[in-house]
Amino acid sequence: MPQQSPALLFDTTTTTTVFVHPLVLLHILDHHRRRPAGSARVIGTLLGRFDDSGVLVEVTNAFAVPHAERGDEVAIGKDFNKTLWALLQQNSSKQQREVIVGWYSSSPLLSDTSSLIHDFYSTETEDGNPVHLVVDCRLTEENAVTMRAFHSTPILVQGETLGNLFHELPLSLRSNEPEAICVSEMIKSMNDNNETTEREKPPLQISMEQLYELLETACTYVDAVVDGTTPPDTEKGRHIADALATVPRMRPDAMDKLFHESLQDLLMVTYLSNLTQTQIAIAEKLNATLDLQ
Amino acid sequence: MAAVIEASERISQVHIEGLALMKIVKHCHESLPHMVSGSLLGLEVSGGILEVTHAFPFPDSRAAAGSAAAVSDTMEGDQDGHEYQIEMMRMLREVNVDNNCVGWYQSMYLGIYSTSSLLENQLSYQTDLSPNAVVILYDPMQTTHGKLALKCYRLTEECIRLKENEENAFIDPRKIFEEVPVKLTNPGLVKALLMDVADGVHDDSSNLQLFEKEHNTNRLGSSTVKTTFDRLDLSTNPYLEKHLEFLCGWVDDLAVEQQKMQFYARQLHRDKHRRKDSSAGDAWASSDAPRRMESLLITNQIRSYCEQMNQFTSEGIEKVYLMSGMQKKD
Repeated sequence: MPQQSPALLFDTTTTTTVFVHPLVLLHILDHHRRRPAGSARVIGTLLGRFDDSGVLVEVTNAFAVPHAERGDEVAIGKDFNKTLWALLQQNSSKQQREVIVGWYSSSPLLSDTSSLIHDFYSTETEDGNPVHLVVDCRLTEENAVTMRAFHSTPILVQGETLGNLFHELPLSLRSNEPEAICVSEMIKSMNDNNETTEREKPPLQISMEQLYELLETACTYVDAVVDGTTPPDTEKGRHIADALATVPRMRPDAMDKLFHESLQDLLMVTYLSNLTQTQIAIAEKLNATLDLQ
Repeated sequence: MAAVIEASERISQVHIEGLALMKIVKHCHESLPHMVSGSLLGLEVSGGILEVTHAFPFPDSRAAAGSAAAVSDTMEGDQDGHEYQIEMMRMLREVNVDNNCVGWYQSMYLGIYSTSSLLENQLSYQTDLSPNAVVILYDPMQTTHGKLALKCYRLTEECIRLKENEENAFIDPRKIFEEVPVKLTNPGLVKALLMDVADGVHDDSSNLQLFEKEHNTNRLGSSTVKTTFDRLDLSTNPYLEKHLEFLCGWVDDLAVEQQKMQFYARQLHRDKHRRKDSSAGDAWASSDAPRRMESLLITNQIRSYCEQMNQFTSEGIEKVYLMSGMQKKD
């Protein structure tokens, strides 16, 4: 992806950063997979939220819209868009109301039809400046699924619109905690498919091993700096110092007390739940005999 | 519901696609503290596998009524919801989404699933739609610290038979619901994307890093790594408190139910002296007899709760020992 300098492009307008949630990407890829035979790309509506300051667009949801392209002509399912949007609005809660923020397409090309579709979405969004998200599903560029976001401004010559100029916007994936959990879960299940033979380690062990690995990396770095083989970096040093400072210093007796207290709590709960289970088992047996009377 | 496919075999596994999962997760989280439900679309494929490829939420007409603890009752808004479902599925068919309802999903509050509303709902799905319909339960409260709380249930044949004949008989609480193993699957393109995410391809642009610093936000790349460390969180007490609180509630409910049963049994016993002809079986089958399913469901709930607690405490004990070990080394 060519990295254009933001200063070159956005000196006249405010820079808008686009955040895309993984759900949207999954939806686009799924939709692309289900495209009608013969069509090169699919389009759809992006839903999300605009930040008050206008520097941030968060794309949280998307839905597919059928369309057909023939040469320079394009037909968009306008009614479809309207109906589905109305349906989706029925169940979104008040405080987290999503609005139409733009549209996506699964082809890497910005063609003439793109600006036609963009014009349509200008009328759909509130501020008339939709975001266009392009996801490249060909896997040719960098051998990865690449995505880019665009804004467009009309080129005016003596008051006449000649065309649209698409600006690229900075784009980033963003996920909240549950989404991140889902994604890491998906990555894990994908790896499981490849190597089913490997036995699943307890999760706690995995976490600890990773923690040790990180500590090891930090140690080698610090050692290298002390030996003089690596030039010191104040920022890194500060980060390490910060991390070390978060380890609570405790007196051994206070530590012991804490340890025993939490252990006792946990054991107590285990005891209670076991007791309940036993009681339930007895109650069940009694209940079963009721039929036999 | 549109297409009813005659089941050739009983399904033994549910494969859920990432997209459907994400949609469920998004819906359930955004509607907190309300408990919500929705529909699952997908296909039954050979080999006893049910593929769930899409999900959409039911309209939230009773959002104001349902409190956090009360698991929402989808039967209420059924008439409204039915039209919505048909409309939604018609729309989705136009964009080539699998147009076959295979079940439903619901958000679950701290592992509470064994309720009569869920039972009735699932029963109607399994009898009206397809014997292979399933319910996927997602717990937005438990999905923290790197753990995804997703369960898939259906009713056993025994339970369905019992409900259809309207018998008021005893059934082993463990055999009301059966859990169906869930597996996450993804199409090739999505796998490619996930690989990129795992490799950190999508979080390298430098100007964004600056932005992140200012706004203190999470990026996907960094947070996927982070989820493994969330497991090391030591605070267990709030969870345990909540669990014990619920357990107390359930036990109280069970006691009330048992009392009703006892009272009825005693009444029967007294009546038996007067009328010799009617047998005990008939009396239990009569409509004014207390429903045994209620107490059985509660029993089932308590059991799964205890298991959940045991698992939780054993993890907690591991962590406490780990912590003390690390502190001693210092």
